[in-house]
Amino acid sequence: MTSPPISAPITVKSPVTRKRLGSWLIYLVVSLYFLIPLAATFYWSLRGQKDVLGFEAYRKLFADTYFLPAFTESILNAVATIFLSLLIVVPTAYWVTLRLPRLRPVVEFITMLPFVIPAIVLVFGIISLYSRPPLLLTSTYDSSRVLLICMYVALSFPYMFRAVDNGLRAIDVKTLTEAAQSLGAGWPAILFKVIFPNLRVALLSGELTIALYMAQHTLGPYMANLTRSKVYEPSAMAIVAFAITWAAMGIIDFVGRGSSRHVQMADTE
Amino acid sequence: MSYLSISHVTKQFGETVVVDNFNLDIERGEFVSFLGPSGCGKTTTLRMVAGFETPTSGKIMLDGTDITGKAPNQRNVGMIFQSYALFPNMTVAQNIGFGLRVRKESDAVVKQRVEEMISLINLETHASKYPYQLSGGQQQRVSLARALANRPQVLLLDEPLSALDAKIRVSLRAEIRSIQRSLGITAIFVTHDQEEALSISDRIVVMNAGEMEQVGTPFEIYNFPKTQFVANFVGSLNNADAEVVDPLNGILAMDGVHLKTADADMSNRRKGDKVKISIRPERFSFAAEPRKENVVDCMIENITFLGSVVRIQISIGNTKFNMDTFNNPFLDLPAIGATEQVMCSKEAVLVLEDS
Repeated sequence: MTSPPISAPITVKSPVTRKRLGSWLIYLVVSLYFLIPLAATFYWSLRGQKDVLGFEAYRKLFADTYFLPAFTESILNAVATIFLSLLIVVPTAYWVTLRLPRLRPVVEFITMLPFVIPAIVLVFGIISLYSRPPLLLTSTYDSSRVLLICMYVALSFPYMFRAVDNGLRAIDVKTLTEAAQSLGAGWPAILFKVIFPNLRVALLSGELTIALYMAQHTLGPYMANLTRSKVYEPSAMAIVAFAITWAAMGIIDFVGRGSSRHVQMADTE
Repeated sequence: MSYLSISHVTKQFGETVVVDNFNLDIERGEFVSFLGPSGCGKTTTLRMVAGFETPTSGKIMLDGTDITGKAPNQRNVGMIFQSYALFPNMTVAQNIGFGLRVRKESDAVVKQRVEEMISLINLETHASKYPYQLSGGQQQRVSLARALANRPQVLLLDEPLSALDAKIRVSLRAEIRSIQRSLGITAIFVTHDQEEALSISDRIVVMNAGEMEQVGTPFEIYNFPKTQFVANFVGSLNNADAEVVDPLNGILAMDGVHLKTADADMSNRRKGDKVKISIRPERFSFAAEPRKENVVDCMIENITFLGSVVRIQISIGNTKFNMDTFNNPFLDLPAIGATEQVMCSKEAVLVLEDS
């Protein structure tokens, strides 16, 4: 009687475990791709003081007379951009959806223009249009700032319009409007009490896109200037910019988490 | 002077006439249903009363005032939608109080009225919930309370129960009716479900392809339909071709048998006219006691058990009829293929249109 040969123990991984392991591997590799440069920048920014790892570079950064004003101005510009774009895009999307569906192709085309036209072309066009009368806006600092904000708003149109439009579809804006009207509400009440609050998630996603887009350009000139003369401060600047962006994203996510449930509509039809 | 008067209202979209010469006078506190298949114009008419569509021609008067040209937010009407249309960003209490806050009522007034409405719909424990936390039936009740909180002059309901399941539909329609009765509010209810319309309306307007087919109480609509469409749409009906034999005595010949009808128009017809007759299934019965009219022989083709009703398919000559009888466990039903005698009264034989 022959006994079957005893084979070496084989570790058999179940398909599920193998798949999960593969996913984790990919996740790790991709994370490293992002994390390594980040870690390097952070490490570099800690070398402000000779032979010591510390926050010297950060201290110098914040002490710089130019930093804080530029920083606050960027923040204010961003806030103004957000409010202005909301005020323009939301009523426009609302009216096009409800009252002027024939204008939709026109509006969509216009909102896609900033996306399609190369930035440098936009810049030249804007400068030449607004640097002489009657639309002279580049003469003073404040008027240039207004121009800048308006251009940021225009740049945000593609993202905002798409986000708001999707949001409007999700909430059946026509029936909600009719319900509000039957209860006696006029347009201001409808827009501010019904439409805006229910678009919170859509607006947040739109604003998030713009925020990320603009985060690349915050303090841009300042940072470029820095790299010309300082060694460690630009890295510190980059880390600060990242930290702000992540904080903003965290806030948006936190606020959005609460409201996303409220936008769920009854599963009818 | 009726409370709500819709006179000669027509609605056209380009070439298509969606509502054609709609005329109706509704009394205060009346519950009227617009009943018809999809596309018959019932919702469009309702929306014209609400102000969401403007009539191409015609006039709508509410309590003596011409509201035809008024914007929806200036008419004092309450609207209930099929999709509930509750504001997702507001709680039940905030939804109900919306109309009052828009009118800038004081907080105390709003609070008191909202509480009143919430207890009316029996959702006291749900006042702080959001719409997504409620079932469909609960949402529709909130929608009702929200519309009623404003004390509207007319309540307009656009297929409010169509999105709900059967049991809820039945209980909610009874609730809507009892609330409407207790408040004495005038209401227009649009539906394609004839059972709904029959069970809760004071009057029904049956519509088809933009036109009013018949207006009457549920009893009238069901038992004395004026047109083929109404008879077919409301309840089920047996149809057959027949020929007039004796107009004065109301005798018709159908497939070899003679049937007597009580139709009033028969005297206007002549012998040999071809007509269509209709008989409701429940008007047949097995000829148990000796009756003198409309006793015919038939063959039992099939027997279907539908719960409370037993549907027996019989054939009289070559024509098939459905016969409905109430279920009774001790019922002695005939066998399939047997020959029986059935009868129906002469009033049950409806002559609706010429063939």
